[in-house]
Amino acid sequence: MIRGCIFDIKRFAVHDGNGIRTTVFLKGCNLRCLWCHNPEGMFSVPQTAYYAHKCIGCGECAGVCPAQAHRIEDGKHLFDRALCIGCGKCAAVCLGDALTFYGREMTADELLPLLLEDREFYESSSGGVTFSGGECMLQADFLREILRLCKENGIHTAVDTAGDVPWESFEKVIPYTDLFLYDVKAATESLHKEGTGVSNARILENLKRLSDAGAEIIVRVPVIGGYNDTAEEIERIAAILKPLRIRSVELLPYHAMGEHKYEAIGQVGQTFTVPDADTMALFRKLFN
Amino acid sequence: MKYISDASYDYIMNKYHDQAKPFDPFQRFIRRDEIFSPETGMPAGEIMDGLKAQDERIADKPHSVRKAQAFAYVLKNTRISCDRRDPFPAINMIDRPLSRVLTSEWAREVREEILPDVFRRRAEFSRLGIATIGPDYDHSVPHWDGIFAFGFAGLLHESERARVGHGADKDAFFEGIRITYEAIISFVERLSDLAARTEGSGRMAKALSSIAKNPPATFYEVLLVIYIYFMLCEHIEGLQARSLCHFDRLLYPYFENDLKNGVTEEEIRGDLAAFLLQFTAIGNYWNQPVFLGGCKEDESTYINALSYLFLDVYDQMGIMNPKVQIKVAESTPKDFLLKALDMIRRGHSSIVFVSDALIRKSLMRAGATPEQARLCDIKGCYEYSILGGIDVGMNYVNLLKPLEYVLHEGCDGVMGEFALHKSPPPCAYKSFDELYAEYKLQLGMLIDAVIDIVNGFEEYLAYMNPQSMLSAAYPTCLQRGRDALAGGSLMNVSSLGCGFIADLADSFAMIKKYVFEKGEISLPEFVRILDSNYEGEELFRRKLVADRDKYGNNKDLPDSIATDIVSFITERVCGKPNAAARGGTWECGFHVARQSYFQGERTAASPNGRPLGEELSKNCSASMGQNRDGATAAILSVTKIDASAFCGDACLDLGLHPGAVKGEEGLEAMYGLLMTFLKRGGHAMHINVFDADTLRDAQAHPEKYGDLQIRVCGWNVHWNQIPKEEQDGFIRQAEALLS
Repeated sequence: MIRGCIFDIKRFAVHDGNGIRTTVFLKGCNLRCLWCHNPEGMFSVPQTAYYAHKCIGCGECAGVCPAQAHRIEDGKHLFDRALCIGCGKCAAVCLGDALTFYGREMTADELLPLLLEDREFYESSSGGVTFSGGECMLQADFLREILRLCKENGIHTAVDTAGDVPWESFEKVIPYTDLFLYDVKAATESLHKEGTGVSNARILENLKRLSDAGAEIIVRVPVIGGYNDTAEEIERIAAILKPLRIRSVELLPYHAMGEHKYEAIGQVGQTFTVPDADTMALFRKLFN
Repeated sequence: MKYISDASYDYIMNKYHDQAKPFDPFQRFIRRDEIFSPETGMPAGEIMDGLKAQDERIADKPHSVRKAQAFAYVLKNTRISCDRRDPFPAINMIDRPLSRVLTSEWAREVREEILPDVFRRRAEFSRLGIATIGPDYDHSVPHWDGIFAFGFAGLLHESERARVGHGADKDAFFEGIRITYEAIISFVERLSDLAARTEGSGRMAKALSSIAKNPPATFYEVLLVIYIYFMLCEHIEGLQARSLCHFDRLLYPYFENDLKNGVTEEEIRGDLAAFLLQFTAIGNYWNQPVFLGGCKEDESTYINALSYLFLDVYDQMGIMNPKVQIKVAESTPKDFLLKALDMIRRGHSSIVFVSDALIRKSLMRAGATPEQARLCDIKGCYEYSILGGIDVGMNYVNLLKPLEYVLHEGCDGVMGEFALHKSPPPCAYKSFDELYAEYKLQLGMLIDAVIDIVNGFEEYLAYMNPQSMLSAAYPTCLQRGRDALAGGSLMNVSSLGCGFIADLADSFAMIKKYVFEKGEISLPEFVRILDSNYEGEELFRRKLVADRDKYGNNKDLPDSIATDIVSFITERVCGKPNAAARGGTWECGFHVARQSYFQGERTAASPNGRPLGEELSKNCSASMGQNRDGATAAILSVTKIDASAFCGDACLDLGLHPGAVKGEEGLEAMYGLLMTFLKRGGHAMHINVFDADTLRDAQAHPEKYGDLQIRVCGWNVHWNQIPKEEQDGFIRQAEALLS
């Protein structure tokens, strides 16, 4: 059976669709959004994150690492990321929660019981399960399988996507998806390329096709200070969305909560400004 | 301040003690002599002298009569005051004066002369942190239905009527009630007279005059009855009147009638605000409970316009005392619950939810009729009792102690003293099952020992402190001619509070896993490490703490141990007879009050990585900082416990990160959590919405967080009032929360 690569499962997720949900984060993304707050989901290969401030210097990791990527010198933990083979053994024994393994592989059958644990909460709050990422649609076959199992079990499903995948991928999941959370980062193609590394042509085309197909869609627009937070750009997005069949548009202000993760996975993040409440209120009006 | 003027607010807040001066919230009361005019009565010292002299003259009389005479003496002579800024009178309480002259002496007599061995064992159990037990006069519910229906004069009349059918052997009981209620009626008349002479207190005078003779007829008059009953019972009679009543059920008819008669809603809001503020100003540490909700006979809700108005006023006042319980049923309107949940996420964690269905099921299992179960009152933080029934005895047992005995051949893990029964040495246990069976043996013996001690002194509850005020309103007390504490009331329950189920389950889970399954450490070596308080074994301790197999995270291993231990306790305790004089039975619960700290200090290092002396887990919640899989997992764990098998608390203290409950969807999510909890048979749930950063900042800069309140374990306190160690516990809990 096909295996999915998952970097997190978040229970009691309340901002990823209706009600109380469990959000499954699938690893790997084909966009490189400069403001990404889940950088641990960018690459499809498993990664080990090291949150240095939590390390207690116990050395348990060094004891199990087959690649000698961890060592303790003078009571201090040193992690040579270049040697890491991404096996995840160190994270399993870490006593301070300083090491986290992103990239657990599992089949849909293995994943399903974890999602069913909170079934009663979904039922009492009209919630369900959301698949996010990364770009979960890059694992469309796995996604289709787990969505199908969820639907068989009567669970509401949502797919959170940036939409830059072949339309065939959408065709695989549409029958089993109750709601699409569809990201639109910018309307202006050059701006989109600048911020995400890719054109938005296929994204907008897929959105239109999804709308035409009658799918339930909530569009989510990240508002990034210094990037797309101009009335003109937001108006352009509103104009694109206007003819489409969309349940609602959510504007999500930039937050810097992902910053510490960049350092933990050995990358460098970029910081943007948080749009103020007045600006957000003004932009929201553009979608009325 | 909305609803009442600033002048009224300031007056009421400073009526009981000067808010500008340091106040110990554990003190029931600090009286302010300066607000009372000398011509209204005697100073406190003179009253105490007079009480002693009077009692010497009637020392041959039964306790109920002596106490009632003393009660009457205090009411006749204590100073009183009325003020135009306050719709409620001021009564110069001398803080349980009868206790100082009479009941403490009767308690001493029982303690030192009648039951010295029982009390010696009780003191030993307390010293070693095994069990905290004692005569309980703090968890009784007045029969408010009867009090409102008859009024003070009517209750006296009913008692005298019942007296006719009894013989001389019941004279002392009925005479106590007669003296007590005649004194109350005269006292209310005295208050009325003073109010009539006080400028701006005419309305109070009229209402007091009316309730001295008649049942209350208006919303304001009912509030006055509750207030006077509470003050006299709590501060003079010496019995805490828990629950200010099933507020919306009982007061709605008066509210509705007042509105028809031209009283405005604003006036009602003003009286309610002044009423609630009295309890804020008194400032009892444990907070005074009041409750809303529940079901009518046809299963429709009791939530009505007054329930909403109550929450409005409570919200606007920004107070946490009284604390509010909402009894939730299927018919409870969603918008009402959302209103309460919204208040909670804004910091009003003094509102809690209890399950109507679960409580009814539990009470009926214990013998209550469906009607009695439906109308039950809340008598403490989460505990419940049928009307006219009494449930006393907060006897807290430390579930970790029998584990110490198992691991130390029957001796205490801290002091080394032999306890109840010799267990085999650690090396003798060949399997986890053997060790677990030995624990149950030790636990069973401890439970029996505690019940034995409590049954001993509960035989004398009414002898030590007879309760005329309470008994007069209990129909069965009048029918039987017996004090509520001596078999007069319905059910007559004694309660065993079993503490720290999470620490116990986690400890067993770690022993099972690391000793008997993985074989990483021998049991004797584990015991040696515990005895050294993990000295030099910090990594091993960390490993135990980091292990995810902990209760409160929907994990089979610890959860199955927790549910099994609860079943064992339930079977051992529930239905067991209590003291013969009470004629009732035992029930159990899992509320811990402040024992997390008190018994925690006396509890050895535990096998779940908890060091010696550290705080223990609260109620049915995860160990501190161990709910790492979030709110849904916490609910799934706690609701595996069959809370309908006992009449007592099975409370979940739920911490939520502010980020998880923001916006409309956050509110709906809180509602979803609550509904799932109740549907799965949960009993009580309280919610703290906090994040670690805010709490850390509040610890560093207390001056910025004067209003920050936190729910401790069934009551709220201001963050700045709790010691640093307790603050650290909350910060650890918050650190584990998922945003």
